[in-house]
Amino acid sequence: MSDGASRFEEFPVDAVHVGLTLFVLAVLFLYSPLFVQPPGGTFTVLEVVVLFLLYAMILVGLNLQFGHAGLVNFGPVAFFAVGGYTAAMLTANDPFRAVGLGYPWPVGLLAAILVAAALGVLLGISTLRLRDDFLAIVTLAVAEIIHGLLETQSDITGGSLGLNNVPRPIAGTTSAGDGAVLVSTIIVFGALAVLFYGVFRRLSASPYGRVLRAIRADEQVTETLGKRVFRYKLAVFVYGAAVAGLAGALLVFYNGAASAGFFTINVTVIVWIGMLIGGAGSDRGVLGGLAIIMGFQLFTRFLNDQIPFVTQDQFASLRLVLVGLLLMVIIKYRPEGIWGNADELGVDS
Amino acid sequence: MTLLAVEDVRRSFGSLVAVDGVSFGIEAGEIVGMIGPNGAGKTTTFNCISSVIDSDAGTVRFDGADVTGVPPYALARRGMVRTFQQTRELETVTVADNMLLAAPEHPGERAWHAVGRTSASAQREAAARERAMELLEVFDIAGMVEEYAGNLSGGQRKLLELARSLMLDPKLLLLDEPFAGVNPSLTNEIVGHIEALNDEGMTLLIIEHELETLTDLVDRLIVLADGEVLATGPPADIMENEEVVDAYLGG
Repeated sequence: MSDGASRFEEFPVDAVHVGLTLFVLAVLFLYSPLFVQPPGGTFTVLEVVVLFLLYAMILVGLNLQFGHAGLVNFGPVAFFAVGGYTAAMLTANDPFRAVGLGYPWPVGLLAAILVAAALGVLLGISTLRLRDDFLAIVTLAVAEIIHGLLETQSDITGGSLGLNNVPRPIAGTTSAGDGAVLVSTIIVFGALAVLFYGVFRRLSASPYGRVLRAIRADEQVTETLGKRVFRYKLAVFVYGAAVAGLAGALLVFYNGAASAGFFTINVTVIVWIGMLIGGAGSDRGVLGGLAIIMGFQLFTRFLNDQIPFVTQDQFASLRLVLVGLLLMVIIKYRPEGIWGNADELGVDS
Repeated sequence: MTLLAVEDVRRSFGSLVAVDGVSFGIEAGEIVGMIGPNGAGKTTTFNCISSVIDSDAGTVRFDGADVTGVPPYALARRGMVRTFQQTRELETVTVADNMLLAAPEHPGERAWHAVGRTSASAQREAAARERAMELLEVFDIAGMVEEYAGNLSGGQRKLLELARSLMLDPKLLLLDEPFAGVNPSLTNEIVGHIEALNDEGMTLLIIEHELETLTDLVDRLIVLADGEVLATGPPADIMENEEVVDAYLGG
């Protein structure tokens, strides 16, 4: 059988196995004296790759929430931020005017996941019974409130200066300079991104995912067919929150610092646009969409250097205009996204 | 044995009293029709029984237990399954997945089994698929199995919804206007299916707006008017009940 059945067939290569293998190899690599020194001009690109891998982790959760279950979560950055700051505050040693408890980084990592998940539970229980558009507004508002708190509660978070002296576990494994650290980071984050993609892919490609897609289509019918709709919605909300929290912790451990500037609404916008361009509900497609949008931003950054008489600020605005145009074109002419399935999303194309 | 006992169920929407103290019982093995003019409270009664909406007062007993306020998913698992007046198959889901979704007690619907790809999940999936195909064959829509439900004709949707509800092996099937908007030959087909299910021991409660199809099919009719039970009895008696005739002609 074709379409529906193939969803349940095994891929020739299973992303969970690949991710686990890569992760073991990555750890071995870190503890070995080996390192890879990238060419000098590639740092900008590699830094975008690091961000791409972290955003990809947020996106696999978001795609399960929106692409499969239809939950409009406009605040994924809230969980990313809470994870990042939890990790930073627990592990920082003597940050300037902020909370820094100096625990070892694994404590920070675990706490980041737990606190982000807890926020997910709290928010989920209070808002998932709301209609879609209300959920969107509440999640958006919560993300903005959290961002505001990070900037204003400077005795705790370091305010606009941020939190410094956060441990950098990956940087600690090599003394070969920033370039080698970047490559090591990409290897570890890449393995984790593949692993989470694999886990969420297994969720979406199983009868579990079928229930989620049924919820997206018609909650009430799904409930009358014996499914505990609210529990599923809460679960996918919390799974996504936990992974975003982990990604936030990874970011601050990579940077050795946390700053409100890492956790702005731009994160939410980029992962959403990536998902819509790639095709919500297409597990691989959304990552392709994210690659397209982040590649586009990177490309235009280089372009900026080539164009005289346009300041960086002006160019940043222009870039947003172009991203907006791209999104409009997609929604008008291919509402299911590049790799999305129009029948499943219920759109006419 | 009384399978379903509804006692003094009430439900208002603002100042509109939709269901005003409805009481009736359904014996195991019966086919009962619920009729009444538009606005009599048939669908609201259905919604209250199946917990799709909360009732303001009254109790519902099903299969020997008080199930008032028990959430819809739990009722479905206990064997009380309903359909909706407007066919509500999941349009963005294939016919196969519509059917498989309804398979009860599927371990693969739990995250741990899904991520772990357990054999329990695979076995249940295979069994559910077999059962789904059987039912689709019976209802003559097996050829559409990989089609998205949104691409089915109106009649096929009615059949799919009926077939899907059978995946749950219901003890009591509540059908809300199964013949609405269905052509006469398909009506006969659905009547045939209902009779076959009843012969196998299933109990059915059917809402219908029009009397003609029901009178031949059901053992007993319950007539609702203005949110109250006006009369109940065998179709032949009901048809001669003047109150009922008045309610229909006057309403």
